[in-house]
Amino acid sequence: MKDKIGYIIGTLLLVAFFVWMALDYNQRINSIQEFSKNMFYMDTYISVKIYTKDKVKAKEALDSIDKIYETYNNLTDRYNSYDGTNNIYKINNNTLTDEKLTIDEKLYDLIFYGIDMYEETNGLININLGHVIDVWKSYRESESGVPTYEELKNSGSIDINDIQLLDNNQILNNHPCIDLGSIAKGYTNQIVADYLKSIGLNSFLINAGGSVVVGEHYANDTYKIGIETPTSEGGVYDVVSFNNKSLTTSGNYQRYYIYDKVLYHHIIDPNTLFPPNYFRSVSVITNNAALGDMLSTTLFLMTIEDGKTYLKENYPDVEAVWYTNDDEIERTEGFSNYE
Amino acid sequence: MNKNDLKIIFFIIITAIMSIVLINLNDETGQIAHIYYMNKEVKTIDLSINNTYTVLGYNGEVKIEVKDRKIRVIEENSPLHLCSKQGYIFKSTETIICLPNKIVIKITDGNELDGVVG
Repeated sequence: MKDKIGYIIGTLLLVAFFVWMALDYNQRINSIQEFSKNMFYMDTYISVKIYTKDKVKAKEALDSIDKIYETYNNLTDRYNSYDGTNNIYKINNNTLTDEKLTIDEKLYDLIFYGIDMYEETNGLININLGHVIDVWKSYRESESGVPTYEELKNSGSIDINDIQLLDNNQILNNHPCIDLGSIAKGYTNQIVADYLKSIGLNSFLINAGGSVVVGEHYANDTYKIGIETPTSEGGVYDVVSFNNKSLTTSGNYQRYYIYDKVLYHHIIDPNTLFPPNYFRSVSVITNNAALGDMLSTTLFLMTIEDGKTYLKENYPDVEAVWYTNDDEIERTEGFSNYE
Repeated sequence: MNKNDLKIIFFIIITAIMSIVLINLNDETGQIAHIYYMNKEVKTIDLSINNTYTVLGYNGEVKIEVKDRKIRVIEENSPLHLCSKQGYIFKSTETIICLPNKIVIKITDGNELDGVVG
């Protein structure tokens, strides 16, 4: 009798234990996990995080995303050529006598977008600024002084009409000096975000090149994004939260040099050919990451007041925050909705 | 089945439950302690690693110990030794304040922010 009770209790306990184990396992494989990948393309670290239950799908997506960034990295590279592709280097340094050059459709679309942005911003976004950027780059790297306006102006043409797109993915061999630095990263980030949504991976966070792009939150919450303090002290000066949006920052504190107590950074005003110092940094919240990249650069070339007016007149649903030279913080009216 | 069988079954089950609980505990996101001296962060400490640290306070060295995801001050030079008497703290938002030494220890959830842009 005693034995029987022992058997029954023992069996019951074992069954209960296995049921519990099964439930726990079930919960584990059905719970959302984070899958991430870090890459280095377009001169910047890129981190992509995907939140999903589907491990296989997430890993495949991360590999595809790596390929997307690599493709755009190679297409927009100004200093290297790659076998089999006519990239920016090939366009800028085309010594062939042919009148036209056939380029990848992806690059054609990106250059088309760039020319469009020139119209959109009255020339503040100019993708034909390569000569001027190169002069500044050599001064920045040697920290040997400051170029004169004449030197910058004589470095080469910055006329946007040097870039002539033709039909059938062809570009006129007209020796432009294209630099896509102000738009390529945001443009590619948006392509990656669109790709993730198109395959049903809606919860993701992309952190790349001064911008963060997020999809749906993985747990009925919002993503919390910090905005870096643009001084040597570092840290975060503000935190915003949102889903399905992007935050992009342009600042004078990353690629710069100081000569004779003046700070010279990498964002050049096509009108003055010099880097402006109206404020330290500006961050914009946009639905589209490509727009965010383009707008943060555009706003960086305007005073805060002009920037506020520009947004109100052209992009009323875009919010922005500025960090001034006196460590003050200026916002658009609706920015506090995200804080 | 005799008593010994039962004991073995219990032992196995308890061990299994314990190991699952322990594994789940390790899944937790790490908490982080921030050490400030005169309002400037001087050290960031991962609470998942047991260790002792020394930072320089206003009255000399302040010794800090991390044990089992908790943090406390074990040695400092002050009249009342209030902050070493406070003992361990472990919840985010908990703080230890050593006024004479101008040292503040704050615990935050390491995953407060999903990303930083700059």
